[in-house]
Amino acid sequence: MRMLLHPRSIAFRLIVAVLAVELVSSVVVVFLSFGYERHVHFKSFDTLMHGRADEVMGAIGDADDEQHDVMLDQTVLHFPPDEIYEAIDDTGQVLGRSASLQGLVTGISPGSKDGFVELQVNGRMYRAIHVHGGRFAGERVRGQGKMHTVSVLYGGGTDRVWRAIDGAVEFYAAGSLLLLLVTGPLIAWLLHRGLLPVRQLAALAARVSADAWHFDPPASARRTPELAPLTEAMESVLQRLERAFLQQKTFVSDAAHELKTAVAVVKSSLQLLNMKKRTSAEYKAGLERCLADCLRLEEIVAKMLTLAREESSREAAGHVQATELAGCARESVQQMETVAGLRGVQVTLVEPDGAVGNVRVAVAQDECMLLVENLLTNAVQHSAPGSAVVVRTTVVGREMVLEVEDHGDGIDAEALPHVFERFYRGDPSRTRNTGGTGLGLAICKAIAEKAGGSIVLTSQRNLGTTATVRLPVLEQGLGG
Amino acid sequence: MRVLLVEDEVRLADNLAAALRDGPGFAVDWAEDGMAGDHMARQVSYDLIVLDLMLPKLDGLGVLKRLRGRLDRAPVLILTAKDGADSIIELLNAGADDYLAKPFDLGELIARAKALIRRGKGAAHPTLKTLGLEVNTLEQTVRRGGVPVDLSPTEYRILEYLVHRPRVIVSKRELLEHLYDYNWEHHSNVIEAHVSNLRKKLDGAVASNGAESPPVIETMRGRGYRMAPEGPLEADAVVEIEVKAATDRLR
Repeated sequence: MRMLLHPRSIAFRLIVAVLAVELVSSVVVVFLSFGYERHVHFKSFDTLMHGRADEVMGAIGDADDEQHDVMLDQTVLHFPPDEIYEAIDDTGQVLGRSASLQGLVTGISPGSKDGFVELQVNGRMYRAIHVHGGRFAGERVRGQGKMHTVSVLYGGGTDRVWRAIDGAVEFYAAGSLLLLLVTGPLIAWLLHRGLLPVRQLAALAARVSADAWHFDPPASARRTPELAPLTEAMESVLQRLERAFLQQKTFVSDAAHELKTAVAVVKSSLQLLNMKKRTSAEYKAGLERCLADCLRLEEIVAKMLTLAREESSREAAGHVQATELAGCARESVQQMETVAGLRGVQVTLVEPDGAVGNVRVAVAQDECMLLVENLLTNAVQHSAPGSAVVVRTTVVGREMVLEVEDHGDGIDAEALPHVFERFYRGDPSRTRNTGGTGLGLAICKAIAEKAGGSIVLTSQRNLGTTATVRLPVLEQGLGG
Repeated sequence: MRVLLVEDEVRLADNLAAALRDGPGFAVDWAEDGMAGDHMARQVSYDLIVLDLMLPKLDGLGVLKRLRGRLDRAPVLILTAKDGADSIIELLNAGADDYLAKPFDLGELIARAKALIRRGKGAAHPTLKTLGLEVNTLEQTVRRGGVPVDLSPTEYRILEYLVHRPRVIVSKRELLEHLYDYNWEHHSNVIEAHVSNLRKKLDGAVASNGAESPPVIETMRGRGYRMAPEGPLEADAVVEIEVKAATDRLR
């Protein structure tokens, strides 16, 4: 429930919104009811006043004395004491009035129009109706009578009406308030129940950690249309994270294994040398072996750092550096010729005529060299003496293609998909025995992919291997 | 003693093989991947298998499981660069006898290798005593009746192997198998010459002491050698020895 009361929680905001809407509706209802009640109450009040005025009118009859033709017989009138009335004849003579009007001037005259007037009598507000009526006085049968026009004013205190209106409005207001008070907690409770899938999802998601990636979203979350996309997103994010995490973990574990093994070599070399007394020539040879072991360790560390750098900068695309791939290939081939010659391997560079030399790709100069060198070193190392290695650069469409082809022993089909994996040693002949670190191809792949390109290895057992790098051509490079 | 070393890192394998040959004088066979290791372990009954965990083709655990799957009782020492108790528990439960984490100490590796071989042969102490013989496997020295006997490395290795299996008939073929690695030309007359010299030296030590003693190593014609039982044997002991010898032949 605490979640519901947090000022930023959706539940809290929903409750506040609902209550605000309710409050506004209540105010509107109160206003409307006020208008309606006033209309209804005053209408019945007016009807009542009209009736009363007619009653007064009815009580006006022939007068007994001679001075007046008509008179008001007040003995038949029984009205509430807080109501007022007055009747006058066409001469303005007051025929009769209620006790509360004694000594006051109402201001009505025979000429006044029919209708309602507001009066203040003794500090009270009255609403009064003013009606005219004809009265025949005298003996009608003998034809001696005469038509008189009489005016009757009848009014009642409006404070009563207002009290009734106020009472009704108060009832509505109180009802709305009560509704507000009841619905507040009710909504909170319903929301708490309704948000159960969210809490279940959160509870399960909270269990996910670097050690326990298993995330099985509750069925309630899957069924809820609002939560289904979130659940799916979480699932896929977690899967991707787990993959990345596992990859990283594998890399660290592999790196640790590689380094520990390399250190074990150095350590055992030294301890072996120290196991018994040896001649100085043996010591010298042993120390040289130790130095070679150290250099290998150094190489592994350097390559791991290179790989880490290439892979980490893959995302952060800074300013694009442009390098002529063909130039790199030419330089690498020149550098490699001596080493290849020692192994009896012929390295050939194949470049088509034209502007290929000027074509640039989005790789830094040193990375480009590293890429070509790694591929070329691999090719030379796995070539049989007397065979040829061909380095080919071509432009195909919008891509610069580099091919390094050897005619060595090739790679097994089952090992081929794994050769770009870090520290992959499925085929020991390609790595350990030739002094490789199992990182060269992983570095090549990182460089190629950083430049938006790709690298593929095709191989046939005993026929040879071809590495193909495709890099997108940089636009400005074509012109220059 | 013959050791199988399964390790894919060439330089490390070189060093380990050299250390095991130079130190305790074991015969060492080297396999550079799991499949080769498994294959070699099928051919020869090794006194110890030193197994790296991360191997190409078939990993160390796979080799171990296959080995134990065919009821091979050879002691197995695992070399691992992996951390974590889980993998160690898994290894030990799969039948490994001991493990060493890389980078290990060469001296420790040799000591553990010796201890595993010793245990594998049923001995607890590095100094083996039988028939008035005292074989110190740490110093690789031999005394008979308190008199030091100076042996050549091969003679010592033969004696050490026989002492580990007292009263059991050990064929020349078995001796060859356990004393030499694959790189050695196998000639059973080499063994005969060494055993002959060994016997002379052991008996000579007692003779110089002035006392008369039966020969320590008996030659069972056409069958092999055995550490001779001291004095007349009890009837049931003879039966036991016969049974042991029979089962050994069957194996």
